[in-house]
Amino acid sequence: MRNYVRPLAATLLAALAAVAIGACGSGGSSSSSSAATSASSSAAASSSSAPAASGGTVKFVEGVFPQSLDPGLDYTTQGAEVNWLVYTGLVTYAHANGIAGTKLIPGLCSALPAITNGGKTYTCTLRKGLEFSNSKPVVASDFTYAVERSIKIPWGGSGEFITPQIAGAQAYSAGKAKSISGITTNDGTGQIVIHLVHPYGPFVNVLAEPTLGLIPAGFPLKVEPTSPPPGVGPYEVKNIVANQSYDVVRNPLWPKMNVPGIPAGHVDVDVTVNSNVQANALAVLNNSADVFDWADAIPGSVLAQIQAGAKGRFGFVNLGGSTYYIFLNSQEPPFNNQLAREAVVTGLNQDAMARLGGGTLVPACFFLPPAVAGHPQNATCPYGTPGTGDLAKAKALVKQSGLAGTPVTVWSQDRQPRLQWMTYYTQFLNSIGFKATQKVIADATYFTTIGESKSLHPQTGFADWNQDFPNPVDFYGVLLDGQSILPTNNENFGETNDPYINSQVSKLSTIPTTQLQQNSSAWQSLDEYVAKKAYAAVFGYQKFPEFTSDRINYNDLVFHSIYGWDFTSFQLK
Amino acid sequence: MASVTGTEFSEGLDAGFSGDGTELPPGIGPWRLAWRRLRRNKTALAFGGVFIVIVVLCLLAPVYSHDIAHIGPDTQNITGTVTQNGKQVDIVSLTDIPIGPTWHSHYFLGADQLGRDVAVRVLYGGRTSLEIGAIATLITVFFATICGILAGYFRGPTDTVIRSVLDVIWAYPAVLLGITLGTVLAVGSLGPLHGTSLAVPTVVIGFVYIPYVAKPIRAQVLTLREREFVDAARQQGLGHLQIMRDEILPNVASTIIVFIPLILANAILTEAALTFLGAGVQPPNASWGTMISDGINQIPAGFHNVLVPGIMLVLTVLSVNVFGDGLRDALDPRAKVRI
Repeated sequence: MRNYVRPLAATLLAALAAVAIGACGSGGSSSSSSAATSASSSAAASSSSAPAASGGTVKFVEGVFPQSLDPGLDYTTQGAEVNWLVYTGLVTYAHANGIAGTKLIPGLCSALPAITNGGKTYTCTLRKGLEFSNSKPVVASDFTYAVERSIKIPWGGSGEFITPQIAGAQAYSAGKAKSISGITTNDGTGQIVIHLVHPYGPFVNVLAEPTLGLIPAGFPLKVEPTSPPPGVGPYEVKNIVANQSYDVVRNPLWPKMNVPGIPAGHVDVDVTVNSNVQANALAVLNNSADVFDWADAIPGSVLAQIQAGAKGRFGFVNLGGSTYYIFLNSQEPPFNNQLAREAVVTGLNQDAMARLGGGTLVPACFFLPPAVAGHPQNATCPYGTPGTGDLAKAKALVKQSGLAGTPVTVWSQDRQPRLQWMTYYTQFLNSIGFKATQKVIADATYFTTIGESKSLHPQTGFADWNQDFPNPVDFYGVLLDGQSILPTNNENFGETNDPYINSQVSKLSTIPTTQLQQNSSAWQSLDEYVAKKAYAAVFGYQKFPEFTSDRINYNDLVFHSIYGWDFTSFQLK
Repeated sequence: MASVTGTEFSEGLDAGFSGDGTELPPGIGPWRLAWRRLRRNKTALAFGGVFIVIVVLCLLAPVYSHDIAHIGPDTQNITGTVTQNGKQVDIVSLTDIPIGPTWHSHYFLGADQLGRDVAVRVLYGGRTSLEIGAIATLITVFFATICGILAGYFRGPTDTVIRSVLDVIWAYPAVLLGITLGTVLAVGSLGPLHGTSLAVPTVVIGFVYIPYVAKPIRAQVLTLREREFVDAARQQGLGHLQIMRDEILPNVASTIIVFIPLILANAILTEAALTFLGAGVQPPNASWGTMISDGINQIPAGFHNVLVPGIMLVLTVLSVNVFGDGLRDALDPRAKVRI
């Protein structure tokens, strides 16, 4: 008996301490500010005050390494699903399933920013007691530095969301100013004031981007792929082995910061990258790995096996916030010709592409996906209902354009089904009269490579977009607005620069996110215009897999509509 | 003049060895003797025959494609159907599972994910793999012979420079070097070496194996240049080029010939490896490497996509290697160590 007395006493003591700490956390949360009440009820239910279960480590498998784990560069779903938990912004999103997850809540600011001066000034104050994961105290001027770093690297969305919006950012970007004049901070009070050039509706969503998550001022103004900056959030990233693995571990400092609505994680997450997604799927099925990355497609060859063997821990979710498309460079032959673009959209066999996607692709023709305001709900596709495509008409259009025989390079990633989609597409282009060849780039470097618009000008190839925030500006501003074309890390791969689109985006981007539904008809008109001009060959909206091992508490998982898996919801049974 | 001085190769074979201890009739040339020895090696000949059959089958790919399968190697048929046991069956299912072997003229060995005929692609893929292997081997042998003879014959600074370059190439694992060069050339370009051109893997593979052949040739030339018949050639006033061409080259010919099948086998394997890793033949071109790479994700539901090109690859490499072994025995019966 004696042997059990001391451990028992220690356990009781630890339990009492945990209860005391939990009570403190709870009190802090509820008394912190009105921000707590702004979070959704589901988010509140899973806030830091919730009893944290278990501990342990979850094995997470993904098919492709993030573009970077440095928030200054990354603009991929793989990076964002980690970085939003490592680099909390001034505001962030509720940790909740479905539409509730698109609700903005205060992040490092004590409340959502006050918007004044006709939508041109954003003001908020940092919470007290914030620390980076390296224990350095957070000050307001760290925000300015994060913005400057994002512009200098540059982050792929900076050309649309940051540089043209914040006063003085253009001058800073051009090297004419040492700092951004439009941001004023007070390290003593923690107040941050951001002046915009003009009202910009989704700017509060921009503030939630992981790239604007706070980092210590003075961190190198260049990408640090294996030693990213410290952040403030429930997690930190360690042990990065490029293109192979990294560990997302709980930040021990986070619970004491008492940020409501942003729960501390229950487990650490070891991420392993294996481009063989089939092997990843089988590993999760056989419980040798725990979580399958949502951005990877389950290969059709193992789908039936998984559906049969993983009941209760597998399903598909249609977030309605992603568009899969083929970009068509409207500045380069042959797709600077409207008829050539129409030929592609007319002849593309979307049924075939859906099969290559293992049946997880919903055929489509409009750029804005169904969950985004402005998606044409009942409109007719201008070049026929998506289906098997009209090959004969497509051939005729190419002939009519006088561009038959034009060499075309099709850019492709190397994982399935993206590779198979582009292999099909290459053959399709050849069948309608072009002389197409395929260029395959490793997944990890694909978007960076084709984003070299300064030198490369890619003609056509695979692209996809998952919403950063629930606003059509996120699609149009980055992907189709001429102003967003960057010399490097460009996301407007088709180099679309249509004055009408540019002016409409500029006009509609002033609409606050909260008033989008009332103004969705204007966005719908623009989306129909883009479909008519065939600036991109949209081929579907993707359904994503929710697939875990038996070890994971599947029912309590949060699948975020913007960031996918919410690591803070991972719990071992 | 060369006929007066004789060669090391003919000296060795004139000694009357057959390789198995039997006497040979006098006055038979070295090549004829080698052929006689090779004919006695039934295993090597059988595998040589297998290789020839594979080559012929691959050369007949257009005939099979046009007259039997009625489908091209890159023709996709994702939403098409085929009649099987009186029923219309999807060539590729709604969840992207391709049809297996039908054992009929259409899709005899099944289809791949894109609804392409595996039998047609495996024959066309063989042409690509063999073509790359053969041309890469020629590149290797050509440059390795030049480098080896120059380095061994001139010694001194020439040898130092050539040997150093060869050492640098040698220092990198062949596949790693191949991936690096293949990726760089596929993304960028260097003259005709660009993008999806088959010249990229061909040149890359040809390049990486140069030291593996050049070094043994150099070592042999270092010995040969001290032999009497080379001295005799010098005394007769022959220039360096003539000595290398007429005296040295014929004496390293047997070594070069022995290396050809070995390098060919390695080149075919390397092509498959590089392609599997994404740095070799680029899609949609068919090669056994691309077929294995494409099929690897289909193993549970479409094992044939990996099995068929895999078997062809193994058979080809095995047949070339066994035949190459026999060739080596025939050309150099005294060698104790097999290469």
